Amino acid sequence: MSTPPIVAEGLVRHFGSGDKVVKAVDGVDLIVNDGEIFGFLGPNGAGKSTTVRVLTTLLKPTAGRATVAGYDVATQADQVRRSIGVALQDAAIDPLMTGRELLALQSVLYGLPKARATNRSDELLERVGLTAAADRRVGTYSGGMRRRLDLALSLVHEPSVLFLDEPTTGLDPMSRLTLWEEVRRLNREGTTVLLTTQYLEEADQLADRVAIIDHGHIVRQGVPRDLKAAVGAPTLLIDVAETQSSAARNVLTRFGDLRPTSEGTLGVGLRDGASAVAAVIRALDDEGIHVRHLELNEPSLDDVFAEATGHRLEGAEAPKQ
Amino acid sequence: MTLALATRHTAWLTYRSVLGRLRQPAALTPSFVFPLFFAALGSASFSRIAERPDFQEIASSFLNYAVAGAVAQGVLFASTSAAGDLATDIEQGFFERLLASPVSRTSILLGRLGSAMVVAVVQVTVFLGIFMAFGARIESGPIGFIGLVGSGALLSLAIGGLMSGMAIRSGSPEVVQGSFPLVFALMFLSSAFFPRRYMTGWYRTVADWNPLSHIVEGMQGFMNQPLAADMFWRSWLIPLGLAIVSIAFGLRALSKRLAAL
Repeated sequence: MSTPPIVAEGLVRHFGSGDKVVKAVDGVDLIVNDGEIFGFLGPNGAGKSTTVRVLTTLLKPTAGRATVAGYDVATQADQVRRSIGVALQDAAIDPLMTGRELLALQSVLYGLPKARATNRSDELLERVGLTAAADRRVGTYSGGMRRRLDLALSLVHEPSVLFLDEPTTGLDPMSRLTLWEEVRRLNREGTTVLLTTQYLEEADQLADRVAIIDHGHIVRQGVPRDLKAAVGAPTLLIDVAETQSSAARNVLTRFGDLRPTSEGTLGVGLRDGASAVAAVIRALDDEGIHVRHLELNEPSLDDVFAEATGHRLEGAEAPKQ
Repeated sequence: MTLALATRHTAWLTYRSVLGRLRQPAALTPSFVFPLFFAALGSASFSRIAERPDFQEIASSFLNYAVAGAVAQGVLFASTSAAGDLATDIEQGFFERLLASPVSRTSILLGRLGSAMVVAVVQVTVFLGIFMAFGARIESGPIGFIGLVGSGALLSLAIGGLMSGMAIRSGSPEVVQGSFPLVFALMFLSSAFFPRRYMTGWYRTVADWNPLSHIVEGMQGFMNQPLAADMFWRSWLIPLGLAIVSIAFGLRALSKRLAAL
């Protein structure tokens, strides 16, 4: 059996030393199987990007071991770089160059012969819908166009493994959908994809499996449907006046465990499912509690995250499509 | 990594850097305008010095004398700007994009130095054209022209290597630009703008020890004397030696930065 495209065992990356050490990644174990879209989900500062930087050889691991495309990231970094495509959130695209020039440069860096490079550039520009803008300077591109060009740049050498670091952060809904479709298409063609995201919906929509990371640790890992099913009960969210919050909390605990929510909202995992909603409302009414807003949510990855970490994935909700 | 591939990487990164320079006229212009401005100012202010009989041993006119200073000054400007662009790459993340690819790491530095050299060659040629249009002459003939261009190119490597090393160490364009006045002071403490023989005291001592004085005087030789080996020794070998040291400094800074990842 061949080695999975991405394997990390006890991966650790610390910054600084002594009392000021920051444990950005603190013992990450993960396996990404061939042909998978693997979502790496977590809030800002959770360790997603640092993990990706270690896996793409941009940072050396402090401890642990990782292989990508069968090569060790620490000792066979050059082979890893030749096998992977990388689109990093923070890696700028030179605004003074045109899309076509950047693709030509990228082709040279990966050692493509000139004729092949020209064909491949044309093919990729068409694929990401940038043929018309190919000879314009990148400085004139919109955010979505830059991301698509970034994706094209990462595909020049036809990598078997693709790393996308927060590929849709800051994009409008239309650009986000376009990029999702392109990622799915690449995956159908056989590319293994690891993408980091702080958007629950993105992980839910795209990923075959997800790992949820918080404070440098993977707290849950698996198929989104299974992870959500494990949380079980749907979450009932209610908004009440602050003065009635304590009383409302007492009522809700009769129907299940309280769940972490955003500030000003109370949440309970209904142990008897959606059928308990009417009973909850009656109980609140009996106590004279005025409910300003009520919402019943089926278990989401946010619930999985909350259940695992005790807090919500702040700012993770993607704008509604 | 084969040498051929590393050379190809360097050539393309040089091309990218030159394109970047050409596409930022606001950044490129000072390295062309200021040296000419200073040369015009010097010619207006110090032209009477050319009437001294012993000045004729140095140059036939102050304009002919000022060419080498302008060339050196322009090269310093352009090399510092190239290093500033490298720092910008680090600050804005293009450097990281390169590191994620199998690029020859050395090419990242050499590409920038290559562009500094290309700009220097163009700059020297343009400056000579402008000065000659105003009456300057290259007394050492066509080989002297090549001597001047080569000297400018080597000086760009010497200064570019030093400044690029600083860019890589700091990762900050502000630090690179902020250190430029030090390089500029080095120019004023040399014979770039005024002959050493008319200097006195500590100023003369510093100018005597300043390698830039000897490089510029080698260039002045090309402009004002019949061709002689001494001109190449001073204007080629000194910057070549400095370039070797400064590029080694730049490569060491790069190596340390990569090791610290």
